[in-house]
Amino acid sequence: MTQPIAWLDGPWWPYLALFVFAVLPTEIWRWLAVGFSRRIDANSPMLEWVRMVATALLAGVVAKLILNPPGVLAQLPLWLRIAALTVTVAIVAYDRRRVMQAVLSGEALLIGCAWWLAR
Amino acid sequence: MPVSPDSSRARVALSGALDALTLPAWMVGFGLFGVGSLARDVGYPADIAVLSTVLVWAGPSQVIFFASIAAGAAWSAIAIAIAFASLRFLPMTVAIMPLLRRPGQGYPAQFLLAHCVAVTTWTEGLRRLPAVPEPLRPSYFLGFSAACVGVSACTTYAGFHLAGALPLPLAAGLLCLTPIFFLASLTAGLRHRADVVALVLGLALAPLSALYVGGGFDLVVSGTIAGTIAYFIQRRRRR
Repeated sequence: MTQPIAWLDGPWWPYLALFVFAVLPTEIWRWLAVGFSRRIDANSPMLEWVRMVATALLAGVVAKLILNPPGVLAQLPLWLRIAALTVTVAIVAYDRRRVMQAVLSGEALLIGCAWWLAR
Repeated sequence: MPVSPDSSRARVALSGALDALTLPAWMVGFGLFGVGSLARDVGYPADIAVLSTVLVWAGPSQVIFFASIAAGAAWSAIAIAIAFASLRFLPMTVAIMPLLRRPGQGYPAQFLLAHCVAVTTWTEGLRRLPAVPEPLRPSYFLGFSAACVGVSACTTYAGFHLAGALPLPLAAGLLCLTPIFFLASLTAGLRHRADVVALVLGLALAPLSALYVGGGFDLVVSGTIAGTIAYFIQRRRRR
C-alpha cells in the first residue's frame, strides 16, 4: 500500500492526499480552459480540433478501463468485458436515443455471464 | 421539461435537475458506486470517497486515485497519471464554455460552471443547451449538474457501505458501468463521420500507445494523434 509522506502523516493525511494528488491534477485543466476559452472564437476550426482530441482521449480512457480494469472487475475475462462494450455500442449506433437500453443490455450481458462463469 | 425564455432562473435550474434525474444522474451515480467500494478497499474513510465525488467530479480520476493506492504506486506517479487522464477536460471545457458564458459573468461563476464539466454533463450539455434560451443556459446547466453530483455523492456513500455485501458479478458490473456508459454517451453524441474516426482511433490507439509510450503519457499521445487525424479528415470532406 502507498505510504503517507512521513512528515505529513496524520489523521487528515487522506484529505490532503485527495486534494493534492487527485483534485488539483483534475481541476487544473478545467481552470486553464476557462482562461483559454475567452480567447477562442466559438466557430474556430481550433475548437473543432479540440473537440476531436477530447473525444479520442475519452475513448482512450474507456480502452484503458477495459484492458486494465480496477478492483474485482479484473477477475472477469477480457472477452466478456469487450463483449459487453460491443453490445452497448451496437445498440447506440443502431438508435442513438437508446442509451439507457444499450447500457442496461451491456451490463446484463456482463453480469449474467459473470454469474454463469462463477457457478 | 420545456424551458421558455421568460422562465425564472430557479425554474430553469429545477427543470435542468429534473431532466438529469430522468436518467443521466443515475448513470453517472451508479458508475461512482464502484468508487466507494475502491475507497473502502484501501482503508480510506467514507467521507473521502464522497468528497472525491464532489471535488474531483471525474470517475476515471477517482478510479485511478484509489486503484493506484491499492496497487502501491508512488504519489508522484498517481498525480501524473490523473493529470494526463484528465487532460481531456481542457478541450472539453473549452468546447462547452462558449455555450455557458454570459456578458458580465465573473471568474467565480465561470470556475463553478467549469467544475461541473464531466463526461455526462458535457455530452448532455452540448446536446441540450443549444435548445435553452442563452441567458438561462448557466442556470439550466448548474441545475442539471447539481442533480448529477447530488445523486453521485449518495451512491458513492452507498457503494462504500454496500460493496462488501455484493456478490462478485454485481460488484464487477458496477465497476464496468463507467466505461460502458462513457462509450454509450460518446457514441450517442457523434455528429460527423470524423467524430466516428476520432472515437474508433482513440479506442484502437490507446492500447498500442500504452505499449510504446511510457511514463503515463500514453493517453495524451494516442488521443492527440487520433483527434488530429479525425480533424484533417473532416477538413478534407468540407472542401
